[in-house]
Amino acid sequence: MDFVTDMMPPDTTGEILAIGWETALLTLQIALLGTAIGGLFAVMLGLLAANNLTPEWVHHPLKVLLAIMRSIPVLILALVLVRAVGLGPFPGVLAIAIHSVGNLGKLFADECETAFEGVWEAMDSAGANWWQKVRFAVWPQVAPQIVSLTLYRLEMNIRESAVLGLVGCGGIGFYITLYQRSFNYTCMCTMVLVMLVIVLAVDQLSVQIRKRLT
Amino acid sequence: MAERNAPVILVEHLRVNYGRRVALCIDQLRFDRGECVGIIGPSGAGKTTLLRAIKGYVRPTRGKIEVLGLNWSMCDRSARRRVQRRIGLIFQQFHLVPRMTVLQNVLCGRLGSTHRLKSLFGRFSAEDKQIAWRAICEVGLQEQVHQRADTLSGGQQQRVAIARVVAQQPEVILADEPVSNLDPVLGAEVLTLLVEVTKHHDATLILNLHQPALAKRFVNRVVGLRDGRIVFDDLPSRLTDDQLQEVYLGYEPTPLYRDDSTAGRSMAMVGA
Repeated sequence: MDFVTDMMPPDTTGEILAIGWETALLTLQIALLGTAIGGLFAVMLGLLAANNLTPEWVHHPLKVLLAIMRSIPVLILALVLVRAVGLGPFPGVLAIAIHSVGNLGKLFADECETAFEGVWEAMDSAGANWWQKVRFAVWPQVAPQIVSLTLYRLEMNIRESAVLGLVGCGGIGFYITLYQRSFNYTCMCTMVLVMLVIVLAVDQLSVQIRKRLT
Repeated sequence: MAERNAPVILVEHLRVNYGRRVALCIDQLRFDRGECVGIIGPSGAGKTTLLRAIKGYVRPTRGKIEVLGLNWSMCDRSARRRVQRRIGLIFQQFHLVPRMTVLQNVLCGRLGSTHRLKSLFGRFSAEDKQIAWRAICEVGLQEQVHQRADTLSGGQQQRVAIARVVAQQPEVILADEPVSNLDPVLGAEVLTLLVEVTKHHDATLILNLHQPALAKRFVNRVVGLRDGRIVFDDLPSRLTDDQLQEVYLGYEPTPLYRDDSTAGRSMAMVGA
């Protein structure tokens, strides 16, 4: 149980808490931006990858592309991107965005494929074009699910983003490893606790939002 | 526009095959402006296929379908879309957007005529809104106008669907089993409304109906289909029990009691 006693009590000096707060905020921002960008592209690609909305030659290659995007773990994507675009939060945002597109895009496409076909035909019958059919026959049916899935992805991305500090993307993960390597376990404990509070807060927020959607 | 006494719909030497099964085989069928036609027949007789062929959703294997002066097999895509817009569809399951209000659902009937880009942002012109409002008044749903469609009863939902078609301002209304999901009283109300609306807008109504008794009450012409062929085409008053027998023989009493083995066989043939 040495590792527990080593971490006790967590260092609560103002300076350490300020570092924890600032870096946790950066971690949160990386996750938010990555999820927002990823979600936006996922909506577009997800609609095009739904087999009831587009012809085979559009949705089939897109499904493959999405599968490739989500098959690479965020951490490995970030490792590669840090080499490509340099250290800092930017490769982290990119890595999270890319993985989220692959993941959410597939879920959105699945969602569209279960949308009620009859409404599509009713809109077509009224003379709606493809965009109008997507907007009125598909979107109202899938939008609540899309918001809910994106929020869920955000929760996961915040945890992913915390780990990204390990490979040079900054944020709270960087300080957790820093303190761990310098045997400063009480400070490390503070960072872990700050992270815990943030993750729990966002989880609760997202639960509340998703509750209202249904 | 074609002259007044030209047929609204003209079907000639039509043949629609699903795989090797003949779904429709009609030598000649003609509907004139203002007619209210009921198409009766057992399940699988080709009623729905006929409606979908008239709408241009089912491609004939052979033969000609001319609607509002346009031959489906001899026209380009834009001409086809223009004419299709003048044909309204009513479905058995209503096919409303559940999360949208009555007004929003009815406005969807304007999608073919309104400004396309603005409609994507949910914006419709004052004229569109007026047309939609008049349609809602016609079906008597003024009080529910801002209610969500999925909170309405079945009869009210079908009224919304009718208002949506009215807002489309069609010249032909095709209704595929519009009252099969409703109880008899509501069904009769909805049919009365459909016939009224059709007359009021000088349109042509073609109804697919399971129940011949209902058909006789509301239409001024009955077409009986059996195995894709027309076995009766006359005034409803001339539809005798013997003729009903001919339409439904072997299928009676109702499709609810249909033998599943025959259903399975016909499915297999569709797949072949």
